Amino acid sequence: MIELIIDDKKVSAEEGSTILTAAKTVGIEIPNMCYDNRLRPYGGCRICVVEQEGNPRLLASCSTPVAPGMIIRTDTPKLRKVRQTVLELMLVHHPLDCPICDKAGECDLQDIAYEFGKPEGRFIRHRKQMPPDVRGPLIELTANRCILCGKCVRICSEHQGRGALGLIGRGFPTVVQPAFGEILECDYCGQCVDICPTGALLSKPMKFQARAWFLEEKDTICPFCGCGCTLTIGTREGKILRSRAKEDNGRSEGNLCGRGRFGTDYIYSENRLKTPLVRKDGELVPASWDAALKYAADGLAKIISENGGDAVGAIGSQRCTNEDNYMLKKFMSNTIGSANIDSSAAFGYSKARKALNMAFGTADHAINMKYPLGKEAILIIESDLSITHPVFALNILKAKREGSKLIVADSRNTKLTRHSTSQLRMNAGTSAALINGIMKTIIDRGLFDRQAASSIQGFNELEQGLADYTAEKVSAITGIPEADIAAAAESFANAKSRMISLTVKMSENSKGMDTVLAAANLANLLGDEPDSLQIPAEYANTLGTVRMGVRPDEGSKGIAGMLYESSLRGMIIMGEDPASTYPFSSKLQSVLKSLDMLIVQDIALTETAKLAHVVFPASGWAEKEGTYINAEGITQRLQKIIDTQGQSLPDWQILRNLSLAMGREIGTRKIDGLQQEIKSSTHAGQPPQIRRAFHSMKHTSGEAPSAEYPLALVARDILQHSGSMSTRSKSLDLVVSEPYLEINEEDAVRLGLSENAHVKVSSRRGTIYLKAKITDEVPAGSVFTSTHFPHGRVNTLLYYPEDMTSNTCAVKVESAKG
Amino acid sequence: MEKVRSHLMLCSGTGCVASGTAKIKTALDEELRKRGLSDEIKIVLTGCNGYCAEGPVMSVYPEEIFYQRLTVEEIPNLVEEHFLKGRPYQKLMFREPEKKAAIPAMKEIPFFKHQVLRVLRNKGLIDPEKIEEYIARDGYQAAAKALTEMTPADIIQTVKDSGLRGRGGAGFSTGLKWEFASRVPSEVKYMLCNGDEGDPGAFMDRSVMEADPHSVIEGMIIGAKAIGAHYGYIYVRAEYPLAVKRLRMAIDQATEAGLLGKDILGTGFDFELDIYLGAGAFVCGEETALMRSLEGKRGMPRPRPPFPAVKGLWDKPSVLNNVETLAQIAPVILNGAEWYRSLGTEKSTGTKVFALTGAVNNVGLVEVPMGIPLRTIIYDIGGGIRKGKKFKSVQLGGPSGGCIPEHLLDIPVTYEDIVATGAIVGSGGMVVMDDNTCMVGTAKFFLEFTADESCGKCTPCRVGTKILLDMLTDISEGKGKEGDIETLQDLSRDIITTSLCGLGQTAPNPVLSTIRYFKNEYEEHIHQKWCRAGVCRNLVTFQIDEKLCKACGACLRACPAKAIVGEKKVPHKIIQELCVHCRTCYDTCKFKSIMILPAGFEGDPQEFLEKNAVGAKEEK
Repeated sequence: MIELIIDDKKVSAEEGSTILTAAKTVGIEIPNMCYDNRLRPYGGCRICVVEQEGNPRLLASCSTPVAPGMIIRTDTPKLRKVRQTVLELMLVHHPLDCPICDKAGECDLQDIAYEFGKPEGRFIRHRKQMPPDVRGPLIELTANRCILCGKCVRICSEHQGRGALGLIGRGFPTVVQPAFGEILECDYCGQCVDICPTGALLSKPMKFQARAWFLEEKDTICPFCGCGCTLTIGTREGKILRSRAKEDNGRSEGNLCGRGRFGTDYIYSENRLKTPLVRKDGELVPASWDAALKYAADGLAKIISENGGDAVGAIGSQRCTNEDNYMLKKFMSNTIGSANIDSSAAFGYSKARKALNMAFGTADHAINMKYPLGKEAILIIESDLSITHPVFALNILKAKREGSKLIVADSRNTKLTRHSTSQLRMNAGTSAALINGIMKTIIDRGLFDRQAASSIQGFNELEQGLADYTAEKVSAITGIPEADIAAAAESFANAKSRMISLTVKMSENSKGMDTVLAAANLANLLGDEPDSLQIPAEYANTLGTVRMGVRPDEGSKGIAGMLYESSLRGMIIMGEDPASTYPFSSKLQSVLKSLDMLIVQDIALTETAKLAHVVFPASGWAEKEGTYINAEGITQRLQKIIDTQGQSLPDWQILRNLSLAMGREIGTRKIDGLQQEIKSSTHAGQPPQIRRAFHSMKHTSGEAPSAEYPLALVARDILQHSGSMSTRSKSLDLVVSEPYLEINEEDAVRLGLSENAHVKVSSRRGTIYLKAKITDEVPAGSVFTSTHFPHGRVNTLLYYPEDMTSNTCAVKVESAKG
Repeated sequence: MEKVRSHLMLCSGTGCVASGTAKIKTALDEELRKRGLSDEIKIVLTGCNGYCAEGPVMSVYPEEIFYQRLTVEEIPNLVEEHFLKGRPYQKLMFREPEKKAAIPAMKEIPFFKHQVLRVLRNKGLIDPEKIEEYIARDGYQAAAKALTEMTPADIIQTVKDSGLRGRGGAGFSTGLKWEFASRVPSEVKYMLCNGDEGDPGAFMDRSVMEADPHSVIEGMIIGAKAIGAHYGYIYVRAEYPLAVKRLRMAIDQATEAGLLGKDILGTGFDFELDIYLGAGAFVCGEETALMRSLEGKRGMPRPRPPFPAVKGLWDKPSVLNNVETLAQIAPVILNGAEWYRSLGTEKSTGTKVFALTGAVNNVGLVEVPMGIPLRTIIYDIGGGIRKGKKFKSVQLGGPSGGCIPEHLLDIPVTYEDIVATGAIVGSGGMVVMDDNTCMVGTAKFFLEFTADESCGKCTPCRVGTKILLDMLTDISEGKGKEGDIETLQDLSRDIITTSLCGLGQTAPNPVLSTIRYFKNEYEEHIHQKWCRAGVCRNLVTFQIDEKLCKACGACLRACPAKAIVGEKKVPHKIIQELCVHCRTCYDTCKFKSIMILPAGFEGDPQEFLEKNAVGAKEEK
């Protein structure tokens, strides 16, 4: 620690910290415009200058490291004078058009001008004149308001790893612009909007919606991925107008991605349900709550009396709160008497859980968002974390910046491959083989502790199983040169600290339980902690859903038994849309149609709801209280921010009412009581003992391409979307509103396809039509698309593998013209 | 080596090449061949001689006879007279401005007489494209000594003891800089050379790189050994193609000779050197910006600390030395610190190269011991003010420097004494101005440069220099207001105290120093609407003094606007409505009969000029 004095206060600051941050620790705020704790010191704005005793020069406090014995003054007449001058110079850039600027009222420049400004500006006639750039879909750039602090440029390139903005030109005419003055095409994370200290970068959807001082702001948790970022939601007159991140706020520490920032308007989707619906003469018609509940209760009672509770199943939701999921589980066991319950995690995170349980004896694996930091080597397995878990991935990029080796194995180019120290470009769906190859190299070259590893159960089988994975064979399967695999194995095994990260998600089909087991084998082989395997849970409340017991027990039916076999007579589906978001939709739609009683509770009239007998309108994420458990296993509270729409109710209340309608009281009326109950029932016991075991894994190829279906279809997330929820956001739809088929130029030429051509894509299970996007980001032989858009019907093509392995799907692509 | 009678050291520095070295070479070859002298007389293309204004120049060895302003037409005469008849050819020799006597020997020419060549020790003496010639002049002996006999600490101690200070501008102790970098433990370090000479009018570094590239490389090898670096880059602006070409050749030759690369001279020391071309931004002469640019990024400075000695290029410990600094290392190592200190003053030791230019008779590159008076450089070496005009001031340190008026000309040229005047030694640009120079215009000229070259990163420099420039422009256009001088000074001081890097911290110097010494001119511009130098067109009226006018008609013929009327024996008159204020008449008149008066002047001109006849005086 370094001792210094700032404004007569003794401060002890960490070595390497700056005067500005040291001052902050004792409550002294030094005005600044170009500082952000996520970025490297820049020292550009010069507002933050301070005086040091005995030093004739002024020091930029944002970039000057503390030194022992410094005596610093942060507010003197001399400093006020030069700050005034610097501010006057800044205002040369700035038109003072505050009356028509959305930033007014929460603008750093305005605040600093208020504090240091003089009534007269000596130089204001020298402004530059630039037209505002309004061309992008979500972000507007008004160069005249820009004071060139460079924060947007730096957060985009340094922190986000994107580099969509740059400083163009030099000296006074410098402007912030996308490259070549083209339209801003970027991740649309909007971090630049948050970080801009003026109104130069603004959110377009928010434009002219409300003055800052009329906005009421409340913090809540993001409803999209498992990162569990804290959103600061701004509302006016009961309507959500925007979402932003505040400095250092929450698990996300002030970061957000485009979904969290721009996607929350999904809650105002046009097909929101306002009243319950019941099926009458084949049509869904509005009904009163009483009538709808009675209809549902009667239907369920009939099935129970005829076939028993076991004939009913339920699907919970990774997007619903713990309270909702807990109540569903309780409703099923207490009121219905059935253990048939599952969620879409079955297609994703449950596979990881199962594998981790086999490998380490512990199922509940939370990640740590900061885990990547300081790791010497990071191995990413076929996962585009910058898209699926953007804020977690920021820490991977940060680790790389700070010196970690980043080895990225992927079939396509992603932000992580672009930032990698080495990229292993592989065939989609061959991760397990790659990891086997890496382990084989490690074993052959003795890069591990054999004694420790051989004491783990299954080592001999593993070693024997790997004998088959020669460098040559692995290279043939994965398409990665032998030397590259060996080099990756060497540098990973030799690192002093390691992390492996991958995702296992419903919307992806190139990884499965086998991939996780292979990765776990690698961790066990190297003697790494189970935590070294960071597999983030996919959605906002995936971990909560699982922890609330929404998963099948031994002997009860899960997704496979409930949706892909005609074994039930009734189902309750809460907050999920299997008909469009689960694979092999034609199959499961026929199962759903065969039910005697399908009860769907959702915020919108989904494809599944359209098949239901009763539809209950549910409150959206911002319309109810409750809790989410993020991928880190941290329980975070949602706030009720706006009133619920129409007659909709929180899911847990719907279930409670349904139970009452069936004559059974299953819980309290108040959410606090419910939360108390959850707390006591999910009381954490002793942390489980780690029981390591190897499970020799063979590479299985998914559905192998054939002469008839020659291409491998890989389902992957795209940046702005993560499922059907995000596709209801008007803002996000402005960026991407339909799925497209990414195809390599080589394949496109062979098939006679041009950019944006309509293509017919068929698998053994169905046919769909998409637009082609020709790109060298994907390898030849594979085509990529996303399953998010219900109208894209991509799930028609896909299948659900019983063995939980990767399930890339063989397809045929033709021009739609012929 | 074949025996030859004479060596013709023909300058092929950029200046002489521009004025026709190639044609002269062809003509000489042709003529010597014709006369059958090709075997006896050998032409050597050398680097810059320094006397660029008189180019193309050539000196004949062993007699050391110096020829200047060579023309193709005169070559046959020269060859015949000098090499056949043995009579040095007077017509192409230097002549003293006043006495008109031809001076044959280079060392007798005043321009050369006062110089002491250490940096430029090989200028005009060797073919820069041949490593053998450099080696023949003791080249690489210092490197060999440093690598075989000296420890890094020895090298650093010697350089420290020599008192050598960075010649790039800041004047920081070179030895100390090396010591800092040597103390930082790191497997990878970089030894860098700053060849991004950016001051307008300065060409010291270019000349060294062109005339003696190996001296830079040798300095870098020694520096690399001192700090423990095994990689180096020379950052040169792409506008110096000849320097780049010669450096590349030199690097190749040195590598081939085992003086660069792996295991140099069998000592086990590795040093690999490469060239990086800069795009010519002035700010890239700033060390942190240069390193960013070398990394392939936008050349913008970053705050220090961390200093480059700790975190420089690619965040590795790095030392960046200027070309001129590096060229001095070899002699320091070879001859020792005491030898180096034998010239100069206590704190400013050795010699410094200046690019002398402007209104002096002899312009060019001059190397002088530090501590000699400015007056010696301007009057003895420079030969005084051109066309017998009056000295007004000299700008030192380029756009970062300041002007020094007449009454301070006797101060010694040392880092400290120059800074006390408000100027800086800088990289050595020395622009002499006569009394036809407008000092507001001078400040404006430099601010145009710095405002254009500001990288735009920090507010005070980006906006402040632009505001200063706009205000100076206003003043020079007659739109100056009461209070402008105070605002200029106030803003200048704030820019200096708050700017991020040296560019902004020095950019206002020309404004402050012109106000300091020539405040009267600012006041005249603002209040009297009068530019006494007759430069600012909106602020002058030209009138002819009838008493002095000899009615020679020279001005009348020269006037581009036909604004002057008159006939023989009748004093001429300027028709004010037609006058475009170009000052051509003033510059043409041999009798000083043209008067420069304020815009829209009415009244008695003589009385006005007498009343306002004040020279430069320091602000109290």
